[in-house]
Amino acid sequence: MQVHIQNLRVSYLEENHSLLALDRLDLTLHPGRITAMVGESGCGKTTLGKAIMGLLPDNARLRGQILLDRDNVPDLDEARMNTLRWSTAAMVFQNGTATFNPVHRLVDQVAEPLVLKGTPRKKAMAKAVDMLAHMGLAPEMARRYPHELSGGQAQRGLLAMALILDPPLVILDEPTAALDAMTKAFIARVIQDLRVRGKTILLITHDLDLAQALADDIVVLYLGQIMEHLPGRDLLENPSHPYTLALARAFPAMDAVRDLGGIRGDAFYRMVHAHAGESGTDHVHTHVAAPDSFHQGGHAPPRGCLFQPRCTQAVEACTRDEIAIMPSGDHQVRCLRGGIAQLLCFEQVAKSYGPIKALAPTDLTLMAGEVFCLVGETGSGKTTLAMIAAAAIIPDQGKRIFQGRDMDIWVKKEFTSLAPKIGVIYQNPAESVSHRFTVFDIVAEPLRIHKMETRTEKIHSRVLRALSDVRLSTAPEFLQRYPHELNMGAIQRVCLARALVHDPDLLIADEPTSALDPSVQAKVLKMLLGLQIEKGLTMLFVTHNIGLARKVADRIGVMVDGRIIETGPAARIINHPGHQYTKMLINSARGLSDTPQGMSQVYR
Amino acid sequence: MRTRQHKWSRPVFAYLAAALILVYLSYLLPQLLPGDFVTAMYAGADVSLNALQEAELKAYFLDNQTFGEYLGNLVRLDWGYSAAFFAPVSTLFFAALPWTIVLMGTAHILSSFLGFFLGVEAAWRRGSLVEKSGVGTMTVLEGIPEICTGALLLLVFSLHLGWFPAAGAQTAYAEQTTFQWVLDVLHHLTLPLITLVAAYFPGNFLLARAGMVMVLKKQFVLTAKAKGLPPGRVRYAHAARNALLPLVTRFGLRFAFMVTGALVVETIFSYPGLGTLLFNAISMRDLPLIQGIVLFASLMVLVVNLCMEWVYTLLDPRVSHAS
Repeated sequence: MQVHIQNLRVSYLEENHSLLALDRLDLTLHPGRITAMVGESGCGKTTLGKAIMGLLPDNARLRGQILLDRDNVPDLDEARMNTLRWSTAAMVFQNGTATFNPVHRLVDQVAEPLVLKGTPRKKAMAKAVDMLAHMGLAPEMARRYPHELSGGQAQRGLLAMALILDPPLVILDEPTAALDAMTKAFIARVIQDLRVRGKTILLITHDLDLAQALADDIVVLYLGQIMEHLPGRDLLENPSHPYTLALARAFPAMDAVRDLGGIRGDAFYRMVHAHAGESGTDHVHTHVAAPDSFHQGGHAPPRGCLFQPRCTQAVEACTRDEIAIMPSGDHQVRCLRGGIAQLLCFEQVAKSYGPIKALAPTDLTLMAGEVFCLVGETGSGKTTLAMIAAAAIIPDQGKRIFQGRDMDIWVKKEFTSLAPKIGVIYQNPAESVSHRFTVFDIVAEPLRIHKMETRTEKIHSRVLRALSDVRLSTAPEFLQRYPHELNMGAIQRVCLARALVHDPDLLIADEPTSALDPSVQAKVLKMLLGLQIEKGLTMLFVTHNIGLARKVADRIGVMVDGRIIETGPAARIINHPGHQYTKMLINSARGLSDTPQGMSQVYR
Repeated sequence: MRTRQHKWSRPVFAYLAAALILVYLSYLLPQLLPGDFVTAMYAGADVSLNALQEAELKAYFLDNQTFGEYLGNLVRLDWGYSAAFFAPVSTLFFAALPWTIVLMGTAHILSSFLGFFLGVEAAWRRGSLVEKSGVGTMTVLEGIPEICTGALLLLVFSLHLGWFPAAGAQTAYAEQTTFQWVLDVLHHLTLPLITLVAAYFPGNFLLARAGMVMVLKKQFVLTAKAKGLPPGRVRYAHAARNALLPLVTRFGLRFAFMVTGALVVETIFSYPGLGTLLFNAISMRDLPLIQGIVLFASLMVLVVNLCMEWVYTLLDPRVSHAS
């Protein structure tokens, strides 16, 4: 059965406004294919499932088409829809046990649709028992009441119930939520088996691992809009939309090495409502508001990208223009910038200091919103590369592109407009601050140099904000302290505050924590990553410690002797290193001491 | 897992113990109550008794039995002799019992079924005009006590219009075929029955509706709809079945208090049931009769409760799990 959803719009009427759950959704589900739908809670995933089943509550308003082969669900009357339900389209609801009626036996509930379609009771019961057995539930289990089942058993029961009429379309709503790994694997096998049998499958899930493993197509939904439509294999490692990347980063995938990062901001509901405009007439408009704030949040723009307030790469145009979904390779992306944008791109960049070749011609790309870790021994050219990225060193050759502009020209012509976009944390915190400056002056310096603020009170408030961002005291006495009065952790935080006070897009951190003891390092790193998420920073993180890199990085680049020998997603580099040197680096980090001295010489 | 026997014996044992305590309390009743038959009988009369006469009379009406004798007599249906009615208590009791059962039983069953079905249908049509006005009307009706409805009905339909008899359960000394007799009984039953149904129905309706409204929000109702079941089956087999429990509880409680529940209405319509009998017995301080009826009423509470426990497990498998 082919399901063709066109221009589907569902809103829920509430007292004086309505909630827009799905907005102009186009989607086609094919027989023998699994389409997974992912997205945060409240993005409209379950609404879509219910809409296909014709089960939306009375306060829902639906426009557009849902074609089940030839039948358009919104046009069908209740009686006709009822004949399609379960025999043509069945749904496995989320929250297993609550989905069953507590006063009827499991087997009765599974057999019920069969009995009502005219199968003799005895035969129907036998078939139900068979189906349950097929799902791994023994006959004595079938006689139980729902409250006597575990969550996993209930979930299998639900599957059995959904498949009892052998429907061509199966909608699975969070079929593996709250299940243990073994039951999850079992259910994944059942779903795969359904695909082989040519069923059309819509899999609604939070579980990105499951979605990636099972789905042919993945649809990423945000506030009722499709943000990205991508092949299943690309979900975790090769997403195109910043939202997909953020979701993947927040998900505890089995392979993930980086500490979990959330997505900044909160998911809002979209409200459509009418109230008197300035001319005194009612006008209907959409706005995005927090569920508990209604109007206090002000009127968010009715146009523009929905994800823009949380996006790490939003530009001014994102708040203005209506954005259509566009093909990008074999993905489809709803993003003005065509998907995750490049922030910084090096082409054949090289640098030598006299006879010493610090950096061989190197290509490097930093994507907006990611944390890229450069890992390598001392003297491998990490700092040189970082400082070239920071526009502090002019490379001998090659091309640098920052935010789509040629960096070399930018540096020469308008360095003042480029510099505030980059924040740097230098290698040695104690040495990177002037001993004659107070804490306040240290942090305020970038603002003053770049003339970003001239009014004293503005400078003051931004400095205080930066200090509180890095969890430092904002007491007047503290602001007047000198660096030698502070401990190393505090100085490092002051450096961090200085790097962030002018709201840069790119943060370059060169061994930011190597001078700190592990407990302080843990705190500083946690804070740094938190800020990275909250401010949507792109980060170039330089460290010699691959163990540290694995907790921080989205991608890792390994440097040896002025050359990047390997780059890739952190999970892949750590779990399946491609280069011999990377393997050695990982082994030596694990404390295996069979690494020869000066091994970089060996792998030159 | 406990054995079935174990599960059953425990509550039954507890109920037996409770019953024994009740019987003992009823045995003590005459000593606990103020006043006695002799005082009550001669209080309004012109005859005045001297001390000796009073003592003799009181001694005549006093029966000194031990608890063992009392218990034995109880089982042998020898519940003493009513001095006020000049008849054995058991005769009086069994003459009145059927009328109470007819009146109260019909009223309870009628009001429960009506309340359940209309409550379920109302909840299903939540938000419609019919449902809203229904709830409003029932809330008002719930507030009117049966003594008020009863008196009004008696006044209008019996005393003023003369459509229904004002007293009794059947026409006395009438030569009737069985069919005529049934009609006659129903004719007498109408007004007290309407009074009771009007008193009990609104509560049942509101309870059923509220329960059903809650159940309809449950996930499994959506599942039932998704399964393509006919609406009637969704409503009753899945939703209403789960809203039944509070209603059954209410039915049981009301049923248990059948005798006291009947007191007011039976008295208003002079219906010859246990309520009227108890009322008369109390006004004449007819101790053996009071004792008998009160004991029956309290044992009834126990029996109904025991039945309810069993019915609960039938209705909701989770109940047996919880205990």
